[in-house]
Amino acid sequence: MAYVAARGGEQAILRAEALHGRLRAPLSAAIVRQIEAHLPYLVDRVMGEGSLYAPELAALALAQSGGDLYEAVLLLRAYRSTQPRIAYAEPVGQEQLHTLRRISAAFKDIPGGQILGPTLDYSHRLLRLDLLDGLGGPEHGGAPSSSTDGAVTPAELPQTPPGPSSPLPAVADWQRASGLLATLPDAPAPDPAELPDVTRDPVHFPAPRAHRLQSLARADTGGALALGYASMRGYGLAHPTVNELRLAHADVLLRHPITGATFSAGRVRVSQCEVVNTSAVELRLGYAATLGWNEVKVIAAAMLDLEMDAPTPHPAHREEFVLYHTEPVESSGFCIHYKLPHYVTFQSGLDALRAVRAEGSEGSVQAQSGAEEQA
Amino acid sequence: MKLAQLAHPRQDYSYGFLDEFGKRELRRRMLKAVAIPGHQVPYASRELPIARGWGTGGLQVTLSLVGPGDTVKVIDQGADDSVNAANLRRFIARMTGVSTTADTLAATVIQSRHRVPEERLREGQALVLQVPDPEPLRRVQPDSSKALEMHADADYAQMWLSLYEQLVRFGRFVQGASYPVLVHGRYLMSPSPIPRWDTPDLHQAAHLTLLSAGREKRLYAVPPYTDVRPIEFEDVFFQVEQMVGRVCAVTGARNKFMDALPLAGGGSIFRISDTGYVAKLLDAARGKPATIGPTYYDDEGRFFQPGVLRDEGQARNGR
Repeated sequence: MAYVAARGGEQAILRAEALHGRLRAPLSAAIVRQIEAHLPYLVDRVMGEGSLYAPELAALALAQSGGDLYEAVLLLRAYRSTQPRIAYAEPVGQEQLHTLRRISAAFKDIPGGQILGPTLDYSHRLLRLDLLDGLGGPEHGGAPSSSTDGAVTPAELPQTPPGPSSPLPAVADWQRASGLLATLPDAPAPDPAELPDVTRDPVHFPAPRAHRLQSLARADTGGALALGYASMRGYGLAHPTVNELRLAHADVLLRHPITGATFSAGRVRVSQCEVVNTSAVELRLGYAATLGWNEVKVIAAAMLDLEMDAPTPHPAHREEFVLYHTEPVESSGFCIHYKLPHYVTFQSGLDALRAVRAEGSEGSVQAQSGAEEQA
Repeated sequence: MKLAQLAHPRQDYSYGFLDEFGKRELRRRMLKAVAIPGHQVPYASRELPIARGWGTGGLQVTLSLVGPGDTVKVIDQGADDSVNAANLRRFIARMTGVSTTADTLAATVIQSRHRVPEERLREGQALVLQVPDPEPLRRVQPDSSKALEMHADADYAQMWLSLYEQLVRFGRFVQGASYPVLVHGRYLMSPSPIPRWDTPDLHQAAHLTLLSAGREKRLYAVPPYTDVRPIEFEDVFFQVEQMVGRVCAVTGARNKFMDALPLAGGGSIFRISDTGYVAKLLDAARGKPATIGPTYYDDEGRFFQPGVLRDEGQARNGR
């Protein structure tokens, strides 16, 4: 049995945690189920940033953290890092997705058709105050587009893709066939087990493309948006067009260890976006995908992917800057670490400042006095 | 025979929380770091159930270093009883079953945020320092890819220049904690934000120092008996924090690193920052048995290895 060296701090920790718990309603399995059913987009956001597809666990993380998104993502990531790799899923092509929503801003119509799918894009953003008064059922009174109560649960998912049962080709495939984009190299699909993995390898820059796309898939939605928006609004070189945005279900395809047959172990919600930039000489693509449905994130991340190698000094055009600073667990963790005591380092800075003052030199000591090093 | 009898007993987490692959990676990186003193070795850095930036780098090293027979001490800014130190110690003990202690001499592994204990560490002990920013070149080169090239070329001209600029502008070096050091005459290294008072402790030390930044995913090491020199000029020397005239309000001791505690009416009182050392001084004063090890600085403020602090005389005479 471990001998515990100091008691005071540990008592404080336990009581602080208990107080935090008492300031919200008690947790239960039913609450977790309700979060999963009623807040699918919030659950998706946490799963995407947590890079773990587990709606029940993401809902639990949200409940346990009282809805603090960064805490919820950290809970999920910390759980994820304990899980062994059992198998690697087969690559899934765009045409294999069970697409529920698919739009292209580049063309009026596209092969396979535009599919509006589930969206609030064209709803009037009016609070449904009648719900608060208990008037009508959940589906009563609202226009179809304003109804958000029909949360998609796995049980209700269509077993076959909506619309024509033929697969929906990627818009970029048409552009390649038309000679607008370079054709893809005729290489066999890489072995998924051999792909660089950002959760298992250290990142070096320039990063392998797999690391970049994985980092964007895990990126903080707000962080990707802030940098992506800076690039879109005025610091970018390009004015890209959304070539294709998809919300879909993807089969997790595994190979049976004995028979070798490929089978679907289940379906996950995925979103992906491809943006295209027209310059005088060529089309350039930017791409991002993530677990869960999160349109803002994949659009912003696809813009970042497109612009990340631009030869301009704006920070959003540098891979290292973008990937480091959109990491939700690291950025939020470092931000809140400033709450930790820094009195030793602060005093060391003060010592330098006092010594300079005592010597009566010019000015005051600013940046270098240790303020920047007090982490 | 039942299936349950054949299966491993259910375990919530691996020993030391990290899975075996994670621990293996850490151990390999540590070996590389020891082989190339002061060189930053990248590692994958797993997420832990502790917020990033709160010691997850040190924690990963400690968790992959310890076995059940180890005794671990955890301090934050010198204190064993601070909530963050208590929390990390609680986690390490829970995941590894190690004994914990506040006594520097009894510990085999000491994880610390921003302090080296006052009592001298000895051979066989490991000091694990938590590092917020492993890159000493950050202030002159924020781009880590370019900083990597500068390290490869041992191109530290900009650091010497910034040192010279400090001298020209302020008449002295104004770096607070995290004073950059040159390890084994080759790699420039951030010793983590330990005060300058602790910097010479790493020079030709008997113990192993491991430094790890979880968020930045870099670890590095100073093996025992390695040169660690703060950057200074031939004629202008590195100086530690001024402790002259400060008397610990708890123990009456002098010439140890002191925390300053502001008083309501102005002014400050002082207290030794190393709480484990204070506890032993108090025990000794009360006649309880206490083994107090030799310290890095004696009661007159002299560093135990002569010649390491070239400015020592000035410091004691109050400049």
